[in-house]
Amino acid sequence: MSESLPGFLQIPGGAQIPAANDDGRNVDLQTGALSGEGAGQKPPGSRQDVGLQSQIFPHVPSHQPCETPTYYGTPVLKQPVWHWPIAAYFYVGGVAGMSATLGSATQLFGGREMRSVVIKTRWIATTGALVSTGILVQDLGRPERFLNMLRVFKLTSPMSMGSWILSAFSSAAAAATVLPYGPRVFRSLAGIFGAIAGLLGLPLAAYTGVLIVQTAVPVWKNPLWSVLALCSSTAAAGSLLELLPLNAKESRTVEVFSLAGKIGEIVTANAIEKDAARIDRVARPFHRGFSGLLWQSAKVLLVSSAVIAIAPGRSPKKRIAAGLVGTAASVCMRFAYFLAGKRSARDPRATFEQQRQTPAITAGQI
Amino acid sequence: MANGFFTDTTVCIGCKACEVACKQWNQLPDDGYHFTGMSFDNTMHLGASTWRHVSFIERPVALNGSDTGFSWLMASDVCKHCARAGCLENCPTGAIMRTEFGSVYVQQDVCNGCGYCVSGCPFGVIDRNHDDGRAWKCTLCYDRQKDGLEPACAKACPTDSIQFGDVEELKERARKRVETLHEKGVKEAYLYGGDAASQPGTGGLNAFFLLVDKPEVYNLPPDPEVPTMRANQSWKSAGLAAIGVAALALVSALVGRTARG
Repeated sequence: MSESLPGFLQIPGGAQIPAANDDGRNVDLQTGALSGEGAGQKPPGSRQDVGLQSQIFPHVPSHQPCETPTYYGTPVLKQPVWHWPIAAYFYVGGVAGMSATLGSATQLFGGREMRSVVIKTRWIATTGALVSTGILVQDLGRPERFLNMLRVFKLTSPMSMGSWILSAFSSAAAAATVLPYGPRVFRSLAGIFGAIAGLLGLPLAAYTGVLIVQTAVPVWKNPLWSVLALCSSTAAAGSLLELLPLNAKESRTVEVFSLAGKIGEIVTANAIEKDAARIDRVARPFHRGFSGLLWQSAKVLLVSSAVIAIAPGRSPKKRIAAGLVGTAASVCMRFAYFLAGKRSARDPRATFEQQRQTPAITAGQI
Repeated sequence: MANGFFTDTTVCIGCKACEVACKQWNQLPDDGYHFTGMSFDNTMHLGASTWRHVSFIERPVALNGSDTGFSWLMASDVCKHCARAGCLENCPTGAIMRTEFGSVYVQQDVCNGCGYCVSGCPFGVIDRNHDDGRAWKCTLCYDRQKDGLEPACAKACPTDSIQFGDVEELKERARKRVETLHEKGVKEAYLYGGDAASQPGTGGLNAFFLLVDKPEVYNLPPDPEVPTMRANQSWKSAGLAAIGVAALALVSALVGRTARG
């Protein structure tokens, strides 16, 4: 221990450090004194230094005195970690929910001749709920722990509420679909489960909107997103049903439902965009990038679909055309606002400017 | 009683001992050894594997009371352990909880990686580890506190820029420090998240900061708000819309019934 290795100094405590001058740095390692060629040079005045640096690096972000600073332009928020299937879930879950709602309304008030569309809505609801569950489980970081979603019933978490709603909805919809094929004693229960699924379909279609509102993402902070989620689901479910073979009465029901949903969706989407436009940075995802393209396309498709629906004539071809365009519009809309949220979270100025211009809801208003 | 941090950025020297101590104690993986070229900052943000992050801001503006024409701001950022925590209120599994020390803690054996906390944090603190699939953030050294020790970062900080203790006591100390700085001429010093009055959106932070420039300069939001505050409003609009859509479904059914077959 006491012997120094060549080129190393022994210091008290037993450690060995490289001897001075061996590494060419001209540092006396025992005192820390510098003895290099430029060691005696006087440092330039800091004012000159700043000037010099600004000339060499005119775009060093923190060197530009700016009214609205950011930290090197890096995001202040973490963007939502969800992948694109979640946008697909917004669509599929919404279709499932609103199909069930229309189905149960038709079951209760539509009469005997509309029996076939009721069965169709139940199948859509059940399939949609199963696909939704699959999408949600695979998007988890730890899919094998999906049952933890039902570990607590938490009113403050829309995702917890959504998990419970989806579980109950899937069970009711599946029961309503399957029971008519079962033993005679259970058949009468199908109607009851159909009505339950119809009732649960409303929160199922709406909660995804509440879920995105309850994030820190600037563009998602408008409570109207929950209204948009519902209207878009209505339009989507209606559009999908329009593609199926229907009799005249069913066709009328589906067309009215679908058209009202589309009009609601256009109105809400415009209201959201107008509200966001108060702050330029917040509205950006509606106009720029892929999210902007999808958003604008969704609006055009929605209007086209509504125009086709309103146009005179009752042919199934017209109905199918409206359904196809309407489906494309709904899918576009979901992906548009999903991607808009990601884009918005990445833009620090959107967060900063929104918070500077609109004060937080204060504790008293909760 | 709640424990927390008071981070006095005016005495931070940017040594990153807090980052290192945190990584060592919590045995966090590396962040990939990137060179960002942005001052001395190579981790850039808090994340799943970075629970303390020192930001470096080079300003061509002097601090009041100094004649250098230049100032270098350094601040060690950390999870704020908000009095009302967005991540905690959003967590659907109950994995995120408030501990007996008043800190916000992620139970890793419960977290299923849904990622909702990530979007719920108005500070962009918590993140999901891509490889691990779960959400991670500062625990306020829960294990050390259990043993009566202060968190690793506060222990390692050589200038006491990071101070750990009872939040009320820290706030008192912080207010005095601001007064002292004001007397010395550093008029721009203020507390960020020091109380509910100055930050109604979070109800105050258990880990608050003394800053000398706008919060945005340090990549902190100027007026953060726990997203749950909009919950009532959005459930209400959803409820009204749901009533409307339910009525629409009934009307559609009736319209179909009366239509000529």
